[in-house]
Amino acid sequence: MNRISLRSSAALAGLLALAACGQDPAPPSTQYGSNPQLPAPHQYVMPPMSVPKAVGWGKGETPVVPAGLQVRALATGFMHPRLVYALPNNDLLVVESNGPNAPVNRPKDYVMGMYQNVGGSGAPGGNRITLLRDVNGDGQPDLRTTFIDHLNSPFGVVLVGNDLYVAATDALLRFPYVTGETRINARPTRVTDLPAGAINHHWTKSLTASPDGSKLYVGVGSNSNITENGIDVEDGRAAIWEIDRATGFKRVFASGLRNPTGLGFEPQSKILWAVANERDEIGPNLVPDYATSVRPGAFYGWPYSYYGQHVDIRVRPQRPDLVAKAIPPDYALSSHVAPLGMTFSRGISLPQYGNGLFVAEHGSWDRNPVNGYKVVYVPFQNGRPSGPPQDVVTGFLNARGQAKGRPTGVAIDRTGALLVADDAGNTVWRVTPVAAAPTRTAAR
Amino acid sequence: MTETSRPVRPRPLLHPHFVGAGAALLIAALVTDLLYWRSLLSAWETFSIWLLTGGLILALLAGIALLFDVLTGRVRQIRWLHFGVLGAAVLISILNAFIHSRDGYTAVVWQGLLLSTIAAILLLVIGWHGWSVAEARPFQSAPSEGIRT
Repeated sequence: MNRISLRSSAALAGLLALAACGQDPAPPSTQYGSNPQLPAPHQYVMPPMSVPKAVGWGKGETPVVPAGLQVRALATGFMHPRLVYALPNNDLLVVESNGPNAPVNRPKDYVMGMYQNVGGSGAPGGNRITLLRDVNGDGQPDLRTTFIDHLNSPFGVVLVGNDLYVAATDALLRFPYVTGETRINARPTRVTDLPAGAINHHWTKSLTASPDGSKLYVGVGSNSNITENGIDVEDGRAAIWEIDRATGFKRVFASGLRNPTGLGFEPQSKILWAVANERDEIGPNLVPDYATSVRPGAFYGWPYSYYGQHVDIRVRPQRPDLVAKAIPPDYALSSHVAPLGMTFSRGISLPQYGNGLFVAEHGSWDRNPVNGYKVVYVPFQNGRPSGPPQDVVTGFLNARGQAKGRPTGVAIDRTGALLVADDAGNTVWRVTPVAAAPTRTAAR
Repeated sequence: MTETSRPVRPRPLLHPHFVGAGAALLIAALVTDLLYWRSLLSAWETFSIWLLTGGLILALLAGIALLFDVLTGRVRQIRWLHFGVLGAAVLISILNAFIHSRDGYTAVVWQGLLLSTIAAILLLVIGWHGWSVAEARPFQSAPSEGIRT
């Protein structure tokens, strides 16, 4: 079987006359943009699930890109690469990471852990940052070193001046960086603690800096799907923190974003944007994941509501006062695509993608048929999204519905190529125009 | 139908121990459901799903023990009404475990709470008559009628 199915269990429940009916999966295109269709939520006996089995890339296999572009493996053999970051000298940092072992709090955690591991989610992370350098300018790295080792589930990285910030799952760390160095042995300064703890359900800490470098922003995911671990473990979570670099003063910049896994400043408006993963288990079309500009002090609903005032009945006690304040996000990406990384396209050498946002969609589990498993481009005009998402890097699933890879992070390197980190495929991909291809014959 | 005239030394039934222990856990799940409903503390909800899981594992062991009782000639007669009611409580509890695996309030209120209540009532009614779903062979090991299979 190319996909593991839990339908037999659902059939058992169906025998007991409470079958898992509910929403039919809607085309993702009905849930793009500022006004997605939101059906009524459904409480399932067994939610629809489908996890493509992670099988890896065969020799010479690559994802698929539109005509005029080419994609090559920049480097392979990573340990669960989640994010790629280009330093000013075009050295590339690849963050290899996975979450700390989560405790089994309920029987469901055990079952779901096994199920999602089929899709490669449980592969061990390197807990390190690897540096790649292209010495001779042929687009392929010639030097590969372990840049920083022994990190605690790192995710976000940003360089401001000579300060390299790394968002580990439990702390924001600052390392001294000198241009051109290939390994940092210095002990980091602990800038601030970040919410982690025993459960640490959504462990990634996304990170970016304001354009002037004065502020840092950290995305902190919720500690549950929908507060099933209690509201008291959600303190400081499902939020974007703002940290003043000079003073270390920190505050919650915006809240109610369930799992903000990618942050970045829109280059024209200089406004902070985030991609976020919305809640599960109330239907294949609920709730759409999104990209949004982030207004200071704004509340985006989680856990009490979604897309404004759509109340989630699974959360008690309810908070009508907060629901009244909740604002909808700007741009729906459709349900369960799992955006795990984003980058604005400024600086790219692909003119058709000159002004917009790339989003790496890791792909769904809580939906059948699956959704995501690709990198999309959201065109922008005047600092706002101006059209539906376009497929850029696809082909992560094979004809049998198995996952050869799953995109997690996107970045633009200093030559203008699009880089894609692929955690299930343990590869970093590089997308360039065909015309700008290295002269070396592509033997792949 | 099989007949045997071989004298059988009577031995106690094994399965009632498992039935009783499992029923205790499934009934306790109703209590923790009620505590969750009134307190909204997620820890009680977590208690409920573990109690349901433990109760169902013991139900499985009870089934195996009953089979063992039958195969080793300890059983004179299955009480089919008791068996059926306990079986219904188990099936309801399986469904209830799925309901309780939802996240948040709807894992308990109202469907979970309703199923826990029905299962607890069925178990208590049966438990009033003891946890055995079979009659043991009498202690005098005279030639006896066979097991109805």
